[in-house]
Amino acid sequence: MKRTTLDPRTKLILSFVAMVLLMISSHMAFLTMAWGTLCILVLVFRLRQVWFVFLKGLGVAVLTFFLIAWLAFDLQTGIISGLRLLTIGTVFFLFFQTTPPEHLSNGLLKMGFPYPFTFVLSASMQFVPVLIRRARNIRDAQRARGIPLEGTFKSIFYLHAFAGPLLIQAFRFADELAEAMEARGFGRPSRSYRKEPCFRWIDWAVTVGSMILFIAILSMKFLRT
Amino acid sequence: MILRFEGVTYYYPGLNTPSLDGLELIVQPGESLLVAGASGSGKSTFCRASIGLIPHFHHGKLTGKVFVDGLDTTKYSVHELFCHAGLVFQNPDAQLFNQTVESEIVYGLESLGIESSEIERRLSWASRLANLDLLMNRSPHTLSGGEKQRVTLGAILTLRPQLLILDEPFTHLDPEASEMLRNILRSIRTEGITTIIVEHRLHEIIQDVDRIILFQRGRKAIEGPPRQVLSGDISHYGLNLPPLLRLLRDFGLETTVFDVEEAINELKIQKCLVPFYEYLIKRPPNSSSSHGGINPPVVELNDLRFNFDGDPVLYGIDLHLQRGESVALLGRNGAGKTTLIKHLNGLIKPQQGLVRIFGSDTKKTSVSELSRHVSMVWQNPNDQIFRSTVREEVLIGPKIFHSYDPLWCNELLNRFGLFPFMDRSPFSLSEGQKKRVSFASALSVKPELIILDEPTAGQDEPFRHELTSYLHSLREEGQTILFVTHDLEFAAEHANRWLILAGGKIIADGPPDRVMADTTAMAKAGLRPTQRFQLTRAMKDLMENRT
Repeated sequence: MKRTTLDPRTKLILSFVAMVLLMISSHMAFLTMAWGTLCILVLVFRLRQVWFVFLKGLGVAVLTFFLIAWLAFDLQTGIISGLRLLTIGTVFFLFFQTTPPEHLSNGLLKMGFPYPFTFVLSASMQFVPVLIRRARNIRDAQRARGIPLEGTFKSIFYLHAFAGPLLIQAFRFADELAEAMEARGFGRPSRSYRKEPCFRWIDWAVTVGSMILFIAILSMKFLRT
Repeated sequence: MILRFEGVTYYYPGLNTPSLDGLELIVQPGESLLVAGASGSGKSTFCRASIGLIPHFHHGKLTGKVFVDGLDTTKYSVHELFCHAGLVFQNPDAQLFNQTVESEIVYGLESLGIESSEIERRLSWASRLANLDLLMNRSPHTLSGGEKQRVTLGAILTLRPQLLILDEPFTHLDPEASEMLRNILRSIRTEGITTIIVEHRLHEIIQDVDRIILFQRGRKAIEGPPRQVLSGDISHYGLNLPPLLRLLRDFGLETTVFDVEEAINELKIQKCLVPFYEYLIKRPPNSSSSHGGINPPVVELNDLRFNFDGDPVLYGIDLHLQRGESVALLGRNGAGKTTLIKHLNGLIKPQQGLVRIFGSDTKKTSVSELSRHVSMVWQNPNDQIFRSTVREEVLIGPKIFHSYDPLWCNELLNRFGLFPFMDRSPFSLSEGQKKRVSFASALSVKPELIILDEPTAGQDEPFRHELTSYLHSLREEGQTILFVTHDLEFAAEHANRWLILAGGKIIADGPPDRVMADTTAMAKAGLRPTQRFQLTRAMKDLMENRT
């Protein structure tokens, strides 16, 4: 994970501003410029390879979005819709690639969110790979005894052979996890933090700058209309 | 005293039989205690009650009192008790819930509200003790089993508990990681921390404990110093003596020794060095030989290569298995053993090289086609259980392949003792019973090659005993068996051929004694010869020096 020097709260504000601006903008030039800027950021943070993997998944959604908008309206609307989804997806890709879940939860804590909420948020991001590994083991175990789970039509009838053990293991895992967390003082009042997020001058500068830009663009858009 | 149980009886919610039944127990500060017993004897329940998870987390019905460091667990919450007594649970995956090892270790200290400078001090102390310095920035879920175990241990140690409890800590460790854990536990003792190790594989830790307590049906069946407890018969507690001790008892010596040097001294005192040596030579651990030879090979691997994320996992594997062979695949955690066995039923297709199973190229044959001939029994039976009754679960394979043979299936159900559970849900069975279901299910399609992944991991002596008889009968029938294991004593008993996998290659291949004699290969794979082999070698040297 690439880390930036910015506080996670600053990055949250930046991502929110970027998302709103990209949502309301219908200018091809603005979206293209935003896309170009995001591409430069991807290169600066050396995330090119991970981004290509991410684009494999997002690409399908972008293409579908483009086709629907093109067929429903016109080609330009199709391109703008596709480009908008691509830029918004890349904004969130950059946010999550540069913000470890723990930093995010610490940032949210500082913003006043309750600890159980922020913990569950970061833990759920962490346990996705664990559950994927378990799902893979279950799939392999079932395939090894001849149960067709290989993506054929027949596999639909055996979906419970995969979902059943996975659900049961997930519940059991959650139970064991809760027990281990309890034994390490989860939810104990007056918790301290070894590394607390710190809002420095650069965070103030970026936050104020982005807010000014946000207000300026909104004013231009809505005052003109 | 650091821990006291006063007539503790506990029932889990919805159960009619107690998991702890009037337990009386006292542990003194600085003591090192081993708690052993068969599955279901109440060991894990004892651990939970010792840190207050019973009654605060598991509600059920509790009578009697538990005092930890003088605190009554019914009156103090887990939050208040966790810096007095720490528990390292059996499953390390479910204890690691932070993003880096460093944050995992400091989590408990943050919960206590300790200030940063003290956190740093304790972090450095615990990481030195648990040997974690090189892992600090890694994600816990990318670590090996041994490393995860050390991280969970470090996370508890930072709290500086007076009492440290470890629930079956050696279950998923390879021999090298087990040795490292033993060394760490010795260092912990020198810090004055009381340790309770819950384990049923006595030989793993017997030399490092002051006292053993054997549990049976939630009660303390017997307790005392290791030599005293092991001087009697412990088989009716679902336990087995350490291999060396068993060997001497089988010979007829009623002595209690724990290592090879001690055994030789004892044999000298008893004046039976020569007869014992002759006994060892005449009775090899594994008397069966291969049924194969001139038959075409069951498994052929030629120059098999496999990379994962650009890193070579298997690097030019050449291997032939003959019909009727019983083969043990050994190596460190992460050596590629599971990747190798997944090639044998097509779950992984070779990226380079050739894999033929019963003459079929696995690249051109589907997994379901191969699974008619090759059955796998996985380490975790919960990965496959999904039907509503044991009968359906066992018969799912024959149903898919339209190969139901009632005589064979009845024999299997009988052999695995599953008839009484036929209409019960497999989810309601104990882990040992589930393992039997997965065995029966794997064999129900009459496979010609059976692959077992860590068959003894986490299993108690009664199951090991049953497994021994299953494997024996399978070998009698001429079945080909391949098993992956860290349990070298088990491998020496049941395999007539050992393969050692290290650095993506098979670095040793041959009969167990020949492989164990290859000190370079054994060291490269982090393996130590069995106690029997060490004793035979030491005695042979002694005999040669005498003549």
